[in-house]
Amino acid sequence: MSTLAATSSRSSVGAWLAHPKVLVGGLLVLIFVCVAVFAPWLAPNDPNAQDLLATLLPPMWDEGGLAQYPLGTDSLGRCVFSRLIYGSRLALLVAVVAATGAMVLGTVLAIIAGYMGGMFDRVTSAIVVLWMAFPPVVFSMMLMVGLGTGVVNVILAVVLVDWTRFFRVVRAEVLVARHREYVYAAQLLGFSHVRIMLAEVLPSVAPLIITLFSLQMGVAIIVEALLSFVGLSVPSDVVAWGVMLADGRDQIYQAGWNLLAPVCGIIFAVLGFNLLSDGLRIVLDPRLKKRGSDA
Amino acid sequence: MSSGIVFLLGRKLGSVVLTSIVLSIVVFIVLRMIPADPLGMMLSPSATQADADALRAALGLDKSIARQYLVWLGQALQGNLGESIFFRAPVLQLLADTLPATLELAFVSLFMALAISIPGGIILYKLNGKKGEVLADFGLVLLLSIPSFLWGIILIIVFGVLYPVLPFMGRLGSDFDAGGAGQFLLITLLFSGQWSAWWDALSHLLLPALALALSFSPIIIRVLRSSLLDTATEQYVMVARLRGQSEWRVLMHHMLKNAALPTLTLIGVQFGFLFGGTLLIEVIFSFPGMGNLMVQAIKNHDLPLIQGVALVFCLMVLTVNFCIDGLYAVLNPRLRNA
Amino acid sequence: MSTVLEFNNVSVNVKVAGTEVALLRNVSFSVGQGRILGLVGESGAGKSMVGRVLSGLLPSNLRFASGEVRFQGNVLTGRDARAFLGRRIAFIPQEPLSALNPVLTIRQQMFEHLKHLKIPRAQWQSYSVARLAEVGLPEPEAMLLRYPHQLSGGQCQRILIAMAFSGDPELIVADEPTTALDVVTQAQIIRVLREVQRRHNTAVILVTHDLRMAAHVCDEVAVMYAGDVVERGPAATVLESPLHPYAWSLKNATPSLEGPQYVLPTLADLMPGLKDMAELKGCRFSRRCPTRDEVCARTVPVLEQIVDGHFVACAGNCRAQAGQRQPELHVLPEPSISAAQPLLEFREVSRVYQGRSKGTLFHALRPLSLTVRPGELVGVVGESGSGKSTVARLMVGLIEPSDGEVLINGLSRASATAAQQAEMRKVIQMVFQDPDSALNPRRTVERLVTQVLDLQPGITPQARREAAERLMNQVGIATDALHRFSSQLSGGQKQRVNIARALCMAPQLLVADEIVSGLDVSVQALIMNLLLTLNRELGIAVVLISHDLSVIRYLCHRVLVMREGYVVEQGDTEAVFSNPKHPYTRTLLASVPPDDANAVWPREVEVV
Repeated sequence: MSTLAATSSRSSVGAWLAHPKVLVGGLLVLIFVCVAVFAPWLAPNDPNAQDLLATLLPPMWDEGGLAQYPLGTDSLGRCVFSRLIYGSRLALLVAVVAATGAMVLGTVLAIIAGYMGGMFDRVTSAIVVLWMAFPPVVFSMMLMVGLGTGVVNVILAVVLVDWTRFFRVVRAEVLVARHREYVYAAQLLGFSHVRIMLAEVLPSVAPLIITLFSLQMGVAIIVEALLSFVGLSVPSDVVAWGVMLADGRDQIYQAGWNLLAPVCGIIFAVLGFNLLSDGLRIVLDPRLKKRGSDA
Repeated sequence: MSSGIVFLLGRKLGSVVLTSIVLSIVVFIVLRMIPADPLGMMLSPSATQADADALRAALGLDKSIARQYLVWLGQALQGNLGESIFFRAPVLQLLADTLPATLELAFVSLFMALAISIPGGIILYKLNGKKGEVLADFGLVLLLSIPSFLWGIILIIVFGVLYPVLPFMGRLGSDFDAGGAGQFLLITLLFSGQWSAWWDALSHLLLPALALALSFSPIIIRVLRSSLLDTATEQYVMVARLRGQSEWRVLMHHMLKNAALPTLTLIGVQFGFLFGGTLLIEVIFSFPGMGNLMVQAIKNHDLPLIQGVALVFCLMVLTVNFCIDGLYAVLNPRLRNA
Repeated sequence: MSTVLEFNNVSVNVKVAGTEVALLRNVSFSVGQGRILGLVGESGAGKSMVGRVLSGLLPSNLRFASGEVRFQGNVLTGRDARAFLGRRIAFIPQEPLSALNPVLTIRQQMFEHLKHLKIPRAQWQSYSVARLAEVGLPEPEAMLLRYPHQLSGGQCQRILIAMAFSGDPELIVADEPTTALDVVTQAQIIRVLREVQRRHNTAVILVTHDLRMAAHVCDEVAVMYAGDVVERGPAATVLESPLHPYAWSLKNATPSLEGPQYVLPTLADLMPGLKDMAELKGCRFSRRCPTRDEVCARTVPVLEQIVDGHFVACAGNCRAQAGQRQPELHVLPEPSISAAQPLLEFREVSRVYQGRSKGTLFHALRPLSLTVRPGELVGVVGESGSGKSTVARLMVGLIEPSDGEVLINGLSRASATAAQQAEMRKVIQMVFQDPDSALNPRRTVERLVTQVLDLQPGITPQARREAAERLMNQVGIATDALHRFSSQLSGGQKQRVNIARALCMAPQLLVADEIVSGLDVSVQALIMNLLLTLNRELGIAVVLISHDLSVIRYLCHRVLVMREGYVVEQGDTEAVFSNPKHPYTRTLLASVPPDDANAVWPREVEVV
């Protein structure tokens, strides 16, 4: 049947931002990053300072709350609001570093495996299949047991568990690009394999990688929260949202609002990254743009 | 069914066995990187070095890692997964006590997830190009951003504390026989006719299963909708319409059957997440399942127990994937007779 | 004989950038019972839109603007059309392999259709078997239990024909039913279609881009261009003496297989797209028309009867000039069959692949020896799976032979050093088939054509630009296209960019792998003439891989006919085509619709 598609226009940065998901997601992420970076200036109190005379205070708009502690205090009298703000630092750190690590490891292996094929591909793919038989939660917990606690180990655990996500998806895309005729044409013109991988294949999977990167940051935050919820993540002097969740869980009848702060914080950050990832995926892949208007 | 399927599944079964063995090695090694010493928990403060050495030898911890593994493997194949250092009970026994609870939880939540996501996926597909879609889409991303343990907490706050309609601790209320270890309560209570107990068990399952289902559903909804969108553009759908088939029939009979395939694959992939999710859910809801056991084992550095539980988790994931692969082969004629 | 379908001045509009554009403009034709009408046109002509109107499944942004459609004398509304679907009006789709649901058996799909036709359940099995037997499928009971992926394209299409004729519809619309099939299968399917049509006395609309095929199969032919019917008349007449300049160039743009050859006329520009159609108020062909005068651009042409039953829509006075066009004879340039060393030589080259199950071998190419000398034009013709693409890849070195030697300028490729291999790449280059896949969508045209210069570190942007402009001139594209991306180019332009890229190396031999299949006939002519020019002026030898015999005859002195890895016949093109020795070659030749409208086609040929 004859096509009725209008000619597609080249997407510029302006067109990127025009998409609502990118806009909203980007905004959320920006707020999150700003809160993390400017934490010392934004937090009213020292997040670790204990005020044993003012434990389990309600938020300041409630009866009994103090303006000094806008969201109240936890069982050790620490300011919930400040802890919420400082917790974002750990979340951001883990998100960025772990996502980068997983991206680099997964992507490099995926491009080589997908492009070169052969034994390397078979071996890495078999390893990945094995890897993925482990429920990620179980695996990351075991890694923390094996490695010990600490921020570096948390990041390492996330990278080791999640690089397979990048590998699987990027490899599939590389396999498609590999058999495009422009790769053959480049080979015929005499380009070396490394050059083709960098100049032809990598740019074609770049949009996908960017999308996954954003998604991965959300995942990293969740994993870190999960680990600190069970006490396997960071030492007690580091503020973590998961720890706040664990504390709040114990006080659920007396001080339920202690839970709300970290819950909202986690959802806010992860939502931002997910929206951004989604929006980028649609914006960067012209095929998906037409989805909505197909008759 | 052709011999092709049997062969295919036979090969997969073989790889499941092989994978389990390799995974057990990985688990073994990972846990041995531990800096902490399990013995520290078990010795009294006044123990001497000789005592420590004796205990170490008794537990077999003085041998090399490879040796320890082979010892363990030999024992495991005979059905002995060692003894929990903390509980001082056979690992296998502990697993048998807690596995049914986790399985019940997993399957009830899978059932709920499917009940939510299949209609959800179809509805979202139908919304394509219409006004409500943007809102529904945002809503979906929001739901996707909430991991299961957060759902658990939210559900407890809403339905446990604010509007206490459902219980959120354990498997059975204190009115009932606090047994139930090692049993599939929903089944045993049903068959023995203890209706109120059965209902109690079910209501205890509802919140945790819902938490898991709510974290699982958005992913399925998403892939079902995108597979439906893909299928909608296929030639045979258009041709079926041109033959005069009604829209309903085209959707149900032609499209769903094809869209089910990638959806099924995704469910298989995500099942690992579902099982992992039971871990934290059980902790939050004080549910006496394997996940809770695992967390306790980890807190106590109880190596044999950690190993046993981790392995069982992996085995369950592998088994489910195996079943899904089989189901996929049954549904996809291209794999059946190539 | 009653009239089954009438289109009276039908116009269908679509909204484009605020204005309404007529996708179908004053389209009129009729089909009588038991008659076949051919709707002929290139892509974008609107021929498929007719089918859409009939199905009542118009997308929401299209509007039925004027005119009426009458089915069996009654005005047809969208709702009626949908109610008739499958029962009184049936469709035969274009791509048979994807037109059947892959997860359902043939039986399930057939039964579903029979249920829709309200045929009693007890009769389903016997009815299905009878329908499948009618279209010539052996063992219909077994066929019912199969899945589509187990069948060939031809078999699937027969099943779709069987399903369409089930329930004895009054009208069938066959939308390019043979385009996706191999040449030999095409002829078979056309024969089946005609037989079943005659038996059921059904009215048929056959949509196709192949004027010759339509002329042989149809009783009446309507040629469409950009939404207009430009010519309509008895099939044989329209083929023999087309009056409208577009119809004339359409006919002559496909080279003939017999008789003297003429230079392919090429039309500048392209069929107008939606945006262009909005601006063209008068005759939409006028911009490309070689005989236009100033009244053409202003006047909307109307179909007028010239002789009995033969209508032409032309605002100018082309009718007067119709008989006066003298095409010039086409002569292939002489190859320099000097004593010079052959550019390319195959010595008993073969290629084998491991089959899926252990032990089986797939012979993609059986041992083959050939030579290509400077300036020669060699054709390799065969259907899919014949091994012709394997030959192409072996020639350029994308794959290596399992046995035998490939020599470039006398030097064996296998034993060449890296430097020598780099030199070889300058001698022989390839132009790929699918321009969408062959051009990196992220590169501008300039970077694409000069891609090989990336390997020369010292090249200045200025020198690069100059090289790019030179190449664009060689292939005949305006240089302002240099900063565009491949997605902004037309199919013909993409293919020429493809050629330009290969030319950047100044090769002596171009291997062109199916580079004109999938292109419109007029664009095809352009590319072929370009290859001829390159050969004539630059002395570049060409090896053309194609399934299209007429293209090979136009372009090549020598031809190799391939089938399932074997070369079944080779020699001078004229000799092979006029006097084929191998039965397969004869089958191939017989499968192409001949120029002579009175010849019988398709004929019963020995199935090889």
